Amino acid sequence: MNSTDDLRRSPLHAKHVELDPTFAPFGGWEMPIQYGGGGVVAEHTAVRETVGLFDVSHLGKALVVGEGAAAFVNSCLTNDLGKIVPGKAQYTLCATEEGGTVDDLIAYLVSDDEVFLVPNAANTAEVVRRLAEAAPESITVTDQHGDYGVLAVQGPKSTEVLAAVGLPTDLEYMSFVDSEWNGTTVRVCRTGYTGEHGYELVPRWADAPALWDALLAAVTEQGGRAAGLGARDTLRTEMGYPLHGHELSSSITPSQGGAGWAVGWKKDAFWGRDVLLAERENKPARRLRCLRALDRGVPRAGMPVLDADGQKIGETTSGTFSPTLRTGIALALIDTAAGIEAGTEVALDVRGRTLRCEVIKPPFVESHVK
Amino acid sequence: MAEAPEQLKYTEEHEWAEVKGDTVRIGITDYAQQQLGDVVFVQLPEEGKEFAVGDSVGEIESTKSVSELYVPVAGEITTVNTALDASPELINSDPYGEGWIFEVKPSDGIDGLLDATAYKALTDNE
Repeated sequence: MNSTDDLRRSPLHAKHVELDPTFAPFGGWEMPIQYGGGGVVAEHTAVRETVGLFDVSHLGKALVVGEGAAAFVNSCLTNDLGKIVPGKAQYTLCATEEGGTVDDLIAYLVSDDEVFLVPNAANTAEVVRRLAEAAPESITVTDQHGDYGVLAVQGPKSTEVLAAVGLPTDLEYMSFVDSEWNGTTVRVCRTGYTGEHGYELVPRWADAPALWDALLAAVTEQGGRAAGLGARDTLRTEMGYPLHGHELSSSITPSQGGAGWAVGWKKDAFWGRDVLLAERENKPARRLRCLRALDRGVPRAGMPVLDADGQKIGETTSGTFSPTLRTGIALALIDTAAGIEAGTEVALDVRGRTLRCEVIKPPFVESHVK
Repeated sequence: MAEAPEQLKYTEEHEWAEVKGDTVRIGITDYAQQQLGDVVFVQLPEEGKEFAVGDSVGEIESTKSVSELYVPVAGEITTVNTALDASPELINSDPYGEGWIFEVKPSDGIDGLLDATAYKALTDNE
């Protein structure tokens, strides 16, 4: 058993305890992986078919403010903030000058002078450190990890849930608005990481429990349920979305990890630009691929990927059982030189057993985010 | 709270054993299935093969993890529960009934297993 002494807890910890959760350490936080009476498959299915409520308060929060804050962030992170307007959010990456990936994160463009960032739990301090170090005097970068909770309402019934608690619902995908709720302000975002239509809500830390209660009642009313990080992982894997530490890391570039679309290649400046442009020019040495099992079995991270001759051509970065497809699925970094394309059959070495897989184009399951 | 029926024998690897005539039926305990979470795939043992106590004979995969299946008594695997191929979730819904996994014909008795009281003491400490 891991020691839980040093782990941070969500503002909703006591709420989880009421739901017979299985807790596990995640990114330095003690978070619910699944709930009693549910389980990963039931929670996953609720999100795909009705609606699920997640606590993702472990996610980082950071504020960049000051004259030209957006232009400053745009000169550091990979994606092009110039492509969006205030009130919109963007998936972006924090790369190193060597081209590795410090983190993938969401940037919420509040105004030319204010950007709100949501990095991954374990990487927030590092992203904040790098930005603060690079920031001119007029711009302040503040780690707000413990200032806000983050709740995600995801699934086809998510609009009904938000309407039931009196929050705005009429938002385009990747847009957000600050809304008055219960005498406080909640940031309502049309974002998520499940592939379903959904919202992410950012209340003040102290206001998170009341918001959770209201949302859970509405979610239950719609036939949905609370969902843990176990279901969040199977949902994002079905979409082929990267998870930092698996598909992206300090040794995996955005292009390799399938996140090249989140790089503003035409921008004059961002961290890692020269190395990443050169890599793009010469084609990355390996690329993230989606594998769907043809045999019965469950892929896991770190399994060798073999070609038809049994030669190792890559390694899985994530693997799980897809509750939607009822088959094993995996994400894998595969050598470009192997010439693997969608439709090619490869094999995984599952502890000495062979698991045949078909390379497919992502996602595994149709996206309904819009 | 995990159940552990009185009439069964148990192992420290969280398997149960039930003597049925000259064979012993094996499954995993309620505690084990709770720890594993949703079982999604069972690699069943091969029928007709002989094993020694503690040999790994298969695997149980859940959404979260994989765990090995051990043979708690030496002997020959006489039959396996093929219903688990299509419905591995039987291990979660009925671990002591429909979710049984395989049967062994013991070659030297079934000594060394825990009774329900000893097994409950073990899981209470985990």
